[in-house]
Amino acid sequence: MFKKFNDKENISGTTQVKSSVIRSIREKLLDTYPDIKDYLDQILPKKEPIKLIKCHDHIEILALGGEPVFFKQRDFFMPTLKLLHKYPFLLPHQQVDQGAIQFVLSGANIMCPGLTSPGAHLVQADKETVVAVMAEGKQHALAIGVMKMSTEAIKSVNKGIGIENVHYLSDGLWHMKALKK
Amino acid sequence: MAEADVTDPVDLNEDSQKTKPKKSSKKKDVSYPLKVVYCGVCSMPVEYCEFNPAYKDCKKWLAENCPDLFERLTIEEEADAGDGKKKKQKRGGRGVMKVKKKAEPQTVTISRIQRQKKKYVTVVRGIGSHDIDLKDAAKAFASRFSCGASVSGDDEIVIQGDVTDDLLDYLSEKFNIDEDNIEDLGDVKK
Ligand SMILES: [Zn+2]
Repeated sequence: MFKKFNDKENISGTTQVKSSVIRSIREKLLDTYPDIKDYLDQILPKKEPIKLIKCHDHIEILALGGEPVFFKQRDFFMPTLKLLHKYPFLLPHQQVDQGAIQFVLSGANIMCPGLTSPGAHLVQADKETVVAVMAEGKQHALAIGVMKMSTEAIKSVNKGIGIENVHYLSDGLWHMKALKK
Repeated sequence: MAEADVTDPVDLNEDSQKTKPKKSSKKKDVSYPLKVVYCGVCSMPVEYCEFNPAYKDCKKWLAENCPDLFERLTIEEEADAGDGKKKKQKRGGRGVMKVKKKAEPQTVTISRIQRQKKKYVTVVRGIGSHDIDLKDAAKAFASRFSCGASVSGDDEIVIQGDVTDDLLDYLSEKFNIDEDNIEDLGDVKK
């Protein structure tokens, strides 16, 4: 989703988010990520201005102090990797094996075999769940993805795309320069 | 969806006994936000540097900026070399990470455009490639030279008035741009 994203070309506009809108965003975030509860005031402080960056392809990015914290394409907000690194418990962790790392870092979707081999580790999750993609032997997430199959299906089918790669280290969103006012 | 056990929202289906839920729950002895060390070269968490095709550059940075980690890595690597090849699962196909090259700092150019008989504007180009925010720079120029200054295009700032001489000093002083890297183009016709 952000493979070819470029902060100079793909942004169509930036607006300050109204507090009423923020409130509903906060509620939705709480609903989607219950664990965010104790930290929501840290992540989206009530008093600081929050910007909504509208981009092409229906992508919207929520930024605090110029740093992107959440992004969405159409439906719901997902944390950015920088935010996830700070609060790793926000998403369920799915671990890929060592061999898959380089592919994930080049933007590839995560294929089932990379999730079922001995170095991988899966937790229970339904289709369409937003997950953190972790890697064997690594501490921090390398991508954020959406389950394209449920965990059971990944294990039984073991073929095709298991997790769609929506945002990964060194993609366009990762490199997005902190925006100034 | 307020559950009683907030620490484990992951386990959605209890009937899958084989799936050990590795909890992505909070650790008690850790305080959040976590601090992650990002590499100054490839920008990724340092543990992923080895996947950067330009790992050598990362290593240089690591050696300078986090010597502890660098040492640990070197030791690990030597151990790996001793054991022969580590049993890494390998896949076919191309999976080489593309690295966005940081734009090499370009030469900053300063030029002067005559507006009216005795009025000039000064145009600065190329400071964006020195990791300087253009808007901030324009503001700084405006207050330093007490005049109007605005971002006028991709990596271009227009300052109202002829400030070329002062600008040379100011650029090296405030933004650390080497004077050898600044070129004065003199008068340019519009
Ligand atoms: Zn690096």
